[in-house]
Amino acid sequence: MGEAITRRDWMAGSAAALLAASCARPVRTTQSETTIVRAEAYDQRLYDIVRRLVASHRLAVRGRPVVIKPNLVEFEPESAINTHPLLVHAACEAFLALGASRVTIAEGPGHRRNTLDLAEAAGYFQTIPDFEDRFVDLNVDEVTLVDLPQRFSRLKRVYLPNTMLGAALVVSMPKMKTHHWTGATLSMKNLFGVVPGGVYGWPKNVLHWAGIHESIADLHSVFPRQFALVDGVVGMEGNGPIQGVPKPMGVLVAGTDPVAVDATCCRLMRIDPARIGYLRLASGAPAEFAESNVRQAGEPIAALARPFALIPQFRGLRLESGA
Amino acid sequence: MTTAKLLEQQNPDGGWPYRRGGSWTEPTVYAVLALAAAGEWATAERGLVWIRAGQRDDGGWQARPGVGESCWVTSLAVLLPAERLGVKRHQRATAWLSATTGLESTTVYRVRQWLMGSQAATETQAPGWPWVTGSAAWVSPTSLAILALDRENRLHPAPGLASRIEAGRRFLINRMCKGGGWNHGSVRALGYESAAYPETTGMALAALRGCRGRETDQSLDLAVRFLDECRSADALNWLRLGLAAHGRMPGGYTPPAGITYRTVPEVATSILADGALGGKSAFWI
Repeated sequence: MGEAITRRDWMAGSAAALLAASCARPVRTTQSETTIVRAEAYDQRLYDIVRRLVASHRLAVRGRPVVIKPNLVEFEPESAINTHPLLVHAACEAFLALGASRVTIAEGPGHRRNTLDLAEAAGYFQTIPDFEDRFVDLNVDEVTLVDLPQRFSRLKRVYLPNTMLGAALVVSMPKMKTHHWTGATLSMKNLFGVVPGGVYGWPKNVLHWAGIHESIADLHSVFPRQFALVDGVVGMEGNGPIQGVPKPMGVLVAGTDPVAVDATCCRLMRIDPARIGYLRLASGAPAEFAESNVRQAGEPIAALARPFALIPQFRGLRLESGA
Repeated sequence: MTTAKLLEQQNPDGGWPYRRGGSWTEPTVYAVLALAAAGEWATAERGLVWIRAGQRDDGGWQARPGVGESCWVTSLAVLLPAERLGVKRHQRATAWLSATTGLESTTVYRVRQWLMGSQAATETQAPGWPWVTGSAAWVSPTSLAILALDRENRLHPAPGLASRIEAGRRFLINRMCKGGGWNHGSVRALGYESAAYPETTGMALAALRGCRGRETDQSLDLAVRFLDECRSADALNWLRLGLAAHGRMPGGYTPPAGITYRTVPEVATSILADGALGGKSAFWI
């Protein structure tokens, strides 16, 4: 991308960076602890489940801004495409209860431009009070050019929304789904939605040309303070992320290390995390996705794992028994 | 829809935001086109000043100040009358747009594919337009570029423009979904057919104005069905524009309840769709 920034733009960008830096005090986390809890349905019980789940991770968000990034993709509210709005509202309440100064819901869909209409169709307006006041369309937010710290892809820098850069904690809330390009779409792939369509278009095709797995790993590296909360109450199997079949799993998976959380989700889906490209790229050494490196809290994987149907091209991702 | 809502949202710098915040090129051009359609050129002039100031050295426009790369919004600027934008500015913008293609159509990419033994894909034979340079062509930027260049070509015919427009239309036909209509431009993934969207179907139909054939007819039928299902102002506006371009808007149509006009482009294109249905379009002549 070019970078002919005017002085005014540079000053605006610097202000945003300063804002991000002021929030950069490390959030106290418990590294690579991943929690699985049962959540059988999208009902009022979710509020208590999520409040306790979030509290258990001892996130230092008091007095700081939190941004929740759900996964909004398509207009079908009855499908398992979008993160359920009740779960998103439960997360908002949980972070406010922890003392967050502000909880913003933010998303930048990759195919459909009408973000608020998408949110309305997905039930967000009806479920979340004052939704419009809490929501930022990341596709058309103010942006800052950010150097990519790791450079897994050939992109050196990327424009990102100031709302995301100013967050003390980014809460990635994807749906637990298979994906026809990456095998599985979870908390890390969900970060594609932070790339502004207003700058890169719909779809955000620059990321595809730079390598999908590599771009996911790049985006993950930009946000060191994340909390992943995966909607696995009803996931999607088969030809995800849009045309697949709902898969009731009755779980939520959460943790401060998205690599570990996504690897745990893969195991629940009976997908081998070692065969997911972006997990391999983003994983440190020793591999964060290795089961022995994830401290598993809550329900055991073995009790809840159920194989997600995979399209023929991805059958090689299947986690072998006992792996 | 009236222009009052647009005037409320104009930024002090003369441009418009999508909803709130800083000015972007897309909402600003749509707002100016809508004000002009309403005969409010005096009000539109501040927006035009903002637009003129944003033209880059290469002739194109960036999505918003500071982004630093010319992109698809240049098509929208070319839709502005040359005498308002400035004739030389308009010529440079048209030249930038004419020379822009998706990365998959470039010689370097095609040679690389040939060396790798890949068959040239159909779309590489009919170049469309990308959202940003360095990426592939897609339906929306291609449709807008065709609308802009076709308007220009009717005013000032040029063989180069005509051939690009014709190739762009073939790109759209190649990217039509099974059963008619268009999504963002991905007809199928790993062998699975993808569904059409109302907004991109309307936009592509507008770009195919004057084109007859089975594909267009099939997509027009779908667009009429979409009218009663669409759940966004953006979709409704572009369906109306696409059907107006072919004289196929059903008489006595009543939009579904609950359509909300939330963004500046939605308000502005609604005004432009009203104009097109009334026989006066900013998108074609």
